[in-house]
Amino acid sequence: MAYTLRGRLESRLAATLAPLLAACVVALVAKAWWPVELAALMLAVGLALDAAVYHRVLPYQPGWAALPLGLLELGAVMGLARLLDVAAPLAAALAFFAGAWLIAQVLAHAVLPLARLSYGDDGGELGRPGAAVAALALIVLGSAVGVAWTTQPPVVRLEAGIHQGPLVLDRSQRLVGEAGAVVRGGIVVTADDVTVRDVTVVGGEIGIEVDGAERVVLDGVEVLWAELDGINVRRGTVTVRDCVIREPIGSHAQGIDISFSFDLGPSVVERCTVTGGMEGIVTHFARALVRDNLVSETTLRAITLTEMSMADVEGNEVEDALGVGIFCGDYSMCRIEENSVSGTVADVESGDRTRMGFGILSHYGAEATLADNRLRGNARPTGSFLRASISSE
Amino acid sequence: MTGPCAIVGGGLAGFVAHATLRKGGLEPADIAVFGSDPDPAAVWRVRAAAIRQRRMRSESDGHCAPATFPGLAVRAALRRRSVVPLLQTVADRYHPTVGEFLEHVEELRAETGWDESFRRARIEQVRAVEGGFELDDHGVFAHVLVAPGHPGLAFPEELAGDPRAVHAYEPHDYAEEVEVVGAGMAAATEWLNALAAGSTVTSVRRREPERRPLNLPRELFTRRGLAGFHRAPDAERVAFLRRYGAPSYPRGPAWDEPVERAAGEGRFRVAAEPNGAGQVICATGFKRGFRHDGLLARLVAEHGLETVEGWIVLAPDSTVPSLTDTGRTLALGGAPAQWAFPAADTLVGAKYSARGLLRRVQAWRTR
Repeated sequence: MAYTLRGRLESRLAATLAPLLAACVVALVAKAWWPVELAALMLAVGLALDAAVYHRVLPYQPGWAALPLGLLELGAVMGLARLLDVAAPLAAALAFFAGAWLIAQVLAHAVLPLARLSYGDDGGELGRPGAAVAALALIVLGSAVGVAWTTQPPVVRLEAGIHQGPLVLDRSQRLVGEAGAVVRGGIVVTADDVTVRDVTVVGGEIGIEVDGAERVVLDGVEVLWAELDGINVRRGTVTVRDCVIREPIGSHAQGIDISFSFDLGPSVVERCTVTGGMEGIVTHFARALVRDNLVSETTLRAITLTEMSMADVEGNEVEDALGVGIFCGDYSMCRIEENSVSGTVADVESGDRTRMGFGILSHYGAEATLADNRLRGNARPTGSFLRASISSE
Repeated sequence: MTGPCAIVGGGLAGFVAHATLRKGGLEPADIAVFGSDPDPAAVWRVRAAAIRQRRMRSESDGHCAPATFPGLAVRAALRRRSVVPLLQTVADRYHPTVGEFLEHVEELRAETGWDESFRRARIEQVRAVEGGFELDDHGVFAHVLVAPGHPGLAFPEELAGDPRAVHAYEPHDYAEEVEVVGAGMAAATEWLNALAAGSTVTSVRRREPERRPLNLPRELFTRRGLAGFHRAPDAERVAFLRRYGAPSYPRGPAWDEPVERAAGEGRFRVAAEPNGAGQVICATGFKRGFRHDGLLARLVAEHGLETVEGWIVLAPDSTVPSLTDTGRTLALGGAPAQWAFPAADTLVGAKYSARGLLRRVQAWRTR
């Protein structure tokens, strides 16, 4: 098809209408705005490429070009989604994009030529209906974005300085700390859709406690001197990213503990630095993605996935753990890929055979699948005990 | 008034127009088609057989149905239960066989009720009257598409009356030594035919052939390329039509390899003039210009239509501006409609004219 510029834009908008409506429905059902954000990104990327690149470079666009152009757009959309922190799960985002692409192909090659005989002659232009469709697509998008905007939780700014806690967040909100904002004595989150950003928490038994709350985002938080857990999540789902947990006080302190949320949905811990404590990142009966974190100097295990957890552990760096680096235990299923585990030393004093400096350990009926991990300077690279399995891809 | 619509010409361009009007909601009884043979592919079939054409130059959308989808590739994929035609068409490599095309014509003929609309009559005169056009003594019609086809085969003057000469589009066999005059698709097909028949071939041509997949660049089949063409002043438009009127044929080893092999064996050569071979095949296409067609020549003369050189000046939707208004339409289809659509003599061109007519008819019906 040799599209005119108007034809490209109108065809694009027409093809976006169905995915856009689907995104709105999914957003309402899932109570998450990423489908709308993703649809808006797809439309923006598509229109920009249509106007700036395709129209100039492709006076005629053969059918096969839809595939490489689709991949180009997918790359741009996913890159922008990551850059703009669109919280879209990868598989869902890919499926959404693929579905939208397929709809666009069916529309351009079958539905529109059937509905409008001169679709090809007109270079993809849709005439009067085209303007209406374009307007409708923009209205739907504008409305969705407007609703998203107006229903966003309120932003609460935490001024620089020390604020006495515990701070209880029992309503949906975005708590954003100014540079130098410190909460002493912990934060407790009990409401869904809470975001805590750029806040330092000092002291308290638990630095940040998430109790029965879903879709909680902890972004850029720092927790110091917690007595038990830096971050503790019970019956909730969280996305924790770019956090720092250090200098725990108690001998049984843990960095991040996500437990008893298997039925609620996956949590994510990424790009965090956890130093010291008994365990760095631990899940009990939870689904989790643990990636790109740095965990070091733990005294029991650096990363623990146990009690029938199901977890992907990717791209983490584990250093100088005592006993075990990455632990998959108690009938959990763990996919452990591209991690670097080094300097794990044997806990000889414990007299426990399972703590003799294993880089990666599978224990008690757990299934650990390994791929492309770098294990260096550990007393023992891998091990499995009590009907547990450890396999490589 | 006798009826709302008439199509003058029962060939493929008229057939496409009939199918388009039917798709637009007109009944067979609302459309009168005047032609000499009820088979819309009769003339085309003879020409294709004459040059032993096996595949169409056009691609999946080179069909007569009013909507682009489903194209012939989709139909072939369903019939053969194979995705190969679909993969070929996304790469612009699908060319239906002549058999597939003719089968599609037959199906569409039955589907659209063509035979109910067809009237065996040769129209000699189209005369504008109040509210429409009078077609000889067949009555008055509000909307008329004139698609008379090519006005005749073109022969080089120097070969007129030469008993050795035969036109490529006339039935013929191949002598031991054959000269093929021309450089387009028909000429290239005849080189291969004659070589396959064991002949020694001389390609008579005064310039190197153009190599294009279709007879025009693809963007000229849509508004993207047409907008500039329609904006161009007359002289520029004429130059453009002359340039792209020059013969061409597609690239590809299927065309080149047999010729190269024969050239290596001394059975194929190129010459600027005929050299006295026993048979001269004139692959020189058709006569051009409205003056070669009696009906169009009378139409122009009697109504004082604007012309530029051999072309009748048309509006972008293929209608004759001075004879078209909200109450009546005179449109041209097929080769004579090049002023509106440079590839008017293709199936896509025929659809372009037909859609222009349909828009006018629909606007008239909802007035």
